[in-house]
Amino acid sequence: MADIKAVQLTIDGRTTQAAVGTTIHAAAVTMGIQIPTLCWKPGFHPSGSCMVCAVQVVGRSGFIPSCTAVVEEGLQVETSTDAVRAARRTALELLLSDHAGDCEGLCQRGCPAGLDIPAMIRAMASDRMEEALAITWKKIALPAILGRICPAPCEKICRRGAADAPVSICLLKRRVGDWALSQDPPRIPACKPPTGQRVAIIGAGPAGLAAAFELLQAGHACDIYDDHSVAGGGLRHAEEEGRLPAEVRAGEIERLTRMGAHWRLGTRVNLPGELTDLRRDHDAVILALGPLVAGWEKDWGQPYTDGSGWLADRVTGATGHAGIFVAGGINHSSRLAVRALADGRRVARGVDHWLQQGQVVGEPHRYTHQAGPLTEAELGMLMQGADAAPRREPVHPDFTPAEAQEAAGRCLQCDCRRKTDCRLRDRADELCAHPARFKGHRRAWEIDRTHPALIYESGKCIACGLCIEVSRRPGAAEGGGLTFWKRGLGIEVRPPWGRDWRQTLTGDPAAYVAACPTGALAMERRWC
Amino acid sequence: MTEGWTENDPTTVQKILDEVGTAPECALAFLQAVHRHYQYLPRLALEQAAASSRMTLAQLSGVASFYPHFRLKPVGRHRVRICTGTACHVKGAPLIWEALRRELKITGDEDTDAARQFTLEKVACLGCCTLAPVMQVGDWIVGRVTPDRVGSILADYLARPKPSTGGATFTPSPAADRSVAGEIRIGLGSCCQARGSAAVWEGFETAIRKTKSKVHLKRVGCVGMCSQTPLVEVIPSGQEPTLYPQVQAGDADLILRRHFAPASVSVRWRDSFDRWVESVLTDAGRRRQAELKAADADGVTDEFLRAQVRITTDHLEAMDPLDGAEYGHAGGFEMLRKSLAENDPEGVIRLITASGLRGRGGAGFPTGLKWNHVRRASGIPKYVIVNGDEGDPGAFMDRMLLESAPHRILEGMLIAAYAVGASEGIFYVRAEYPLALKRLREAIRQAAEAGWLGPRVGGTGWSFHVRVVEGAGAFVCGEESALLASIEGQRGHPRWRPPYPAERGLHGMPTLVNNVETLAAVPWILRQGAGSYAALGTVRSKGTKVFALAGKVRRGGLIEVPMGISIRRVVEELGGGVLPGRVFKAVQMGGPSGGCLPADQCDLPIDYEALTAAGVIMGSGGLIVLDDTDCMVEMARYFLEFTQDQSCGKCVYCRVGTSRLLEILTRLCNGKGHAQDLDLLKELAEGVRRSSLCGLGRTAPNPVLTTLRYFSDEVKAHMEGRCPAGRCRGLISFEVTDRCIGCTLCAQHCPVQAIAPRPYETQSIDQEICVRCGICREICPEQAIRLLSGRSDTKLIKGEQKGSPDGRH
Repeated sequence: MADIKAVQLTIDGRTTQAAVGTTIHAAAVTMGIQIPTLCWKPGFHPSGSCMVCAVQVVGRSGFIPSCTAVVEEGLQVETSTDAVRAARRTALELLLSDHAGDCEGLCQRGCPAGLDIPAMIRAMASDRMEEALAITWKKIALPAILGRICPAPCEKICRRGAADAPVSICLLKRRVGDWALSQDPPRIPACKPPTGQRVAIIGAGPAGLAAAFELLQAGHACDIYDDHSVAGGGLRHAEEEGRLPAEVRAGEIERLTRMGAHWRLGTRVNLPGELTDLRRDHDAVILALGPLVAGWEKDWGQPYTDGSGWLADRVTGATGHAGIFVAGGINHSSRLAVRALADGRRVARGVDHWLQQGQVVGEPHRYTHQAGPLTEAELGMLMQGADAAPRREPVHPDFTPAEAQEAAGRCLQCDCRRKTDCRLRDRADELCAHPARFKGHRRAWEIDRTHPALIYESGKCIACGLCIEVSRRPGAAEGGGLTFWKRGLGIEVRPPWGRDWRQTLTGDPAAYVAACPTGALAMERRWC
Repeated sequence: MTEGWTENDPTTVQKILDEVGTAPECALAFLQAVHRHYQYLPRLALEQAAASSRMTLAQLSGVASFYPHFRLKPVGRHRVRICTGTACHVKGAPLIWEALRRELKITGDEDTDAARQFTLEKVACLGCCTLAPVMQVGDWIVGRVTPDRVGSILADYLARPKPSTGGATFTPSPAADRSVAGEIRIGLGSCCQARGSAAVWEGFETAIRKTKSKVHLKRVGCVGMCSQTPLVEVIPSGQEPTLYPQVQAGDADLILRRHFAPASVSVRWRDSFDRWVESVLTDAGRRRQAELKAADADGVTDEFLRAQVRITTDHLEAMDPLDGAEYGHAGGFEMLRKSLAENDPEGVIRLITASGLRGRGGAGFPTGLKWNHVRRASGIPKYVIVNGDEGDPGAFMDRMLLESAPHRILEGMLIAAYAVGASEGIFYVRAEYPLALKRLREAIRQAAEAGWLGPRVGGTGWSFHVRVVEGAGAFVCGEESALLASIEGQRGHPRWRPPYPAERGLHGMPTLVNNVETLAAVPWILRQGAGSYAALGTVRSKGTKVFALAGKVRRGGLIEVPMGISIRRVVEELGGGVLPGRVFKAVQMGGPSGGCLPADQCDLPIDYEALTAAGVIMGSGGLIVLDDTDCMVEMARYFLEFTQDQSCGKCVYCRVGTSRLLEILTRLCNGKGHAQDLDLLKELAEGVRRSSLCGLGRTAPNPVLTTLRYFSDEVKAHMEGRCPAGRCRGLISFEVTDRCIGCTLCAQHCPVQAIAPRPYETQSIDQEICVRCGICREICPEQAIRLLSGRSDTKLIKGEQKGSPDGRH
């Protein structure tokens, strides 16, 4: 290789050399400058259509797709100005304004604890209880208890409800909890090796218990204090009302004991007086005191309160005192057990971060798209993927395995199959995209199930054409390949006129899914 | 099974494949041919082609569904096309469309009536802007349509005898006979024919035969005075010519007799008797005789022509477009011959550069510079493409030039090809221009015969071949890179530039893409010198520009004016201003990529930079005059509707951005704007302008941006639920005043029966049924119908104000 012609240019003020024909994106990458991309990925031909990789060239008013545009002598490229970010964000927001589908199921959005309900149900539908339990425990420490007392906001917004009746989510979750208790020995989650760090949790209600469940799994030791001699806090009311059998409560609390919790029950901690001592003996303290009685502000004062409420971070529960956190009813006025439980887990995550890294980092916010109300046709299309059976209440109070499986089969599976693996969602998070900025008419949400292994949702397609490129590879699509169809806002990717996906794709469907940057193409997962 | 597919069809399809070829790049030509045969694309024809050619079903499906020209469903027996060009739009095309749908009882997504008699289609422009609004039934063009006439037009079409226009051959009388008494010239361009010039031709043919006059009847090109067509020019040998405007077929005898004496005595005698009978016995005949005045008599022609400088349109009114020999006699191909003889291609490029010629397609890139780039680029073969994919609604300059001067464009192309060193040339012309395509192909045939095309052009060692590719109605294919994709048989998706086609064009080879009008100027520049061309115009914009002047102007037509002339002069002097009683409000320039310039800014000279600075663009040359009854918000909405529909769908900003812009503008036109809409509109328009992939998207927001810039009061009025121009139908209503005399004319003409006829009483309009077409107001002899601006539904306005002070709802 004698002399490949090179040009000199600057990117973000730094000078570099690049061979003629190199794209601006490639030149930036060699300098360690990351430019996000959406419609293009390495190994494919760039089309420059999505503008998420937009950059600016000094002296030009328009934005440039860096995946496509090649370097030129003397170019001064800017990759991270406010204007560039705004252009990228607007491009995403325009795409999102025409995106038909939900990232997460509405049930998951409606669950205060954020349980991935569709995933749990998928596991149960094929009787994979270990997996269902693992999914549940990620967000809910006490599924058997909540399965009996939760008012189930998830079921109120379940999309199936619009067709006939919502999926029996709460009963299914209860079955997961009961299953864990019924095993011999009852299941406990895996805990990391001890970290040697110790956390005091004051209050053995849902928030405190959830926090302990999370921290014990992370390898931290927990001392749980409560005035009462029995753990459960507010859960005792449900027990007194007969909604919660004592053995269920005891069973789930016993799990914490087996995970290594140190109970300091019947031990009154005088607050705020003894807080300093507790903090000295522990690496962190979580106050999970439940709803506070009137006049508490007088006792506490600065820096815990300014007289009108707790001065604490709503997400992480961190207070003005390093290592002192609040969780549950003390931080949120809600009396819902599931909300207190969710808060206990979230705060425990913050505590874990603080213990490990010395700083409190909240859980990252995830962009979640919602399609809004569905048309009758859209609902019908979702129904095609579910069992038509009506909602049935269990004959006995609890679901039998067969009943549970039937109930699980009713789930519409309306969450996105690619929710953890979607570049559109990732970019929306990174660029803080607002889904409703350009609200307007959105496409119909359609699911094409003609291929046995592949699901195609045209409403989630961004018309990048990567799958079409895959279909042009030798042997990929002997049945006819893929093409763009129509133009403008109506453009879509589809098999040739008169063919369906099964007929057209003869190669490995996974290659198409791997190429697709969004949830438009996914492997069918229902029974996998 | 595709409807109507029979066992004979595979043979038909195979025959088409044999004709057009089986390479992937033949896809467009294949689909065009199939479409011509079936009037739609049967799916099985595509299947068959995919099975027996190198075109794939995926490719054919993608291309078939991309181009608006192709239909995938069978059509009714007759196609009815409604022109939605700008001129037709401002003169009520949407009302015609709705009236036709009502008449044929077509609803929803359907486009064909239940009896499968008529299929309705919108067409971007029929190029008869001065006849607006225009519709086409079969091959029959009807101008000045009103909503209440559509029913009778369709009935007339079905009842009329076999069309004569389609059958006419226009064989000119042999010109070789030098003993002729004179010549009669009739313009036979598409728009002239739309106004009946074919019938006039037949009238003269009959009259000449009857009187046995030795008169040479000659087909000529476009004169540009579209508002005066059909035009007939009479030139008795050795005498001054006389030009007759708006001639009817029946005038042939009258005109012929005025200038030429019949040849034989018997004919002369019978003729004078006929004349006596006609003039004495019929009022009509007498009146017509008095009416039929030469165009020059009132000075109108002079006003129209005085300010024009004809370079690309030179001699069109005198030359037979299809007579290559005549073009040769008049100095045609002389400049090509000279260039070849001098053997100095660089010199040609220097000359074009010195002339200051810039691309007339709209962007104004210096032509000489472009030629130079292609010449310097490495790669063989090199291509020259003539871009005749004129898609602006309201622009038909290129069509006129192709129809009237195909040899001139061919010569321009050959000179360009020689200068850049190309060996293959392609004309890309819209399939909607059948006459232009026919004449172009004939001109190519003649040029090849004369030795100007082929392996040894003009006897030199240079080889150059030309072919014609028919576009299929995709506006985006006017963009260079989309045009290239289209010629390669693909969907017309543009790509990011650079590399420019000059470097990597057709099949990756250096390609010169020039507009029709640009190349038409080339022979003149070589003949008259770069200096003569550069002497016209402004500092940076040289020479002349052809415009299609239309809209609310008294004399519309095609004009060629020197750069630098003020817009006002064009409108007021050439066009004769707006109609009496109306106020000149604005001009729309550059079509969907341009914008509206208010009347008070119209002293601006026509100059690329000056127009761009004002927010409008030169564009390809549509110039639509607007008056006080035109709504600027509605105009912006109209153009956005066009670009949104024509977006190829590749890039996000154009695909989704223009759609969201259109939604906002539609809200405004319905008086339902949200409080944040104005900011959003501006922000998004800027975004689409700055971040779209190609020129279509980047210029699409221009109509919005100029409306926001110059007509912000009107935009604000729409936010408040008023349309000051009384145009937006969601914001106006009609009311009968007490001047009504109860003649019930309004009730008789109302297309939706919103007025129940009550003789001798004051009529009333049912607002629920009324579609706001305004026919009642036009028809009322007593001016008893009043137009009210502001939403008639006042309860709604109150409710909204109460419900949400910030205007959201």
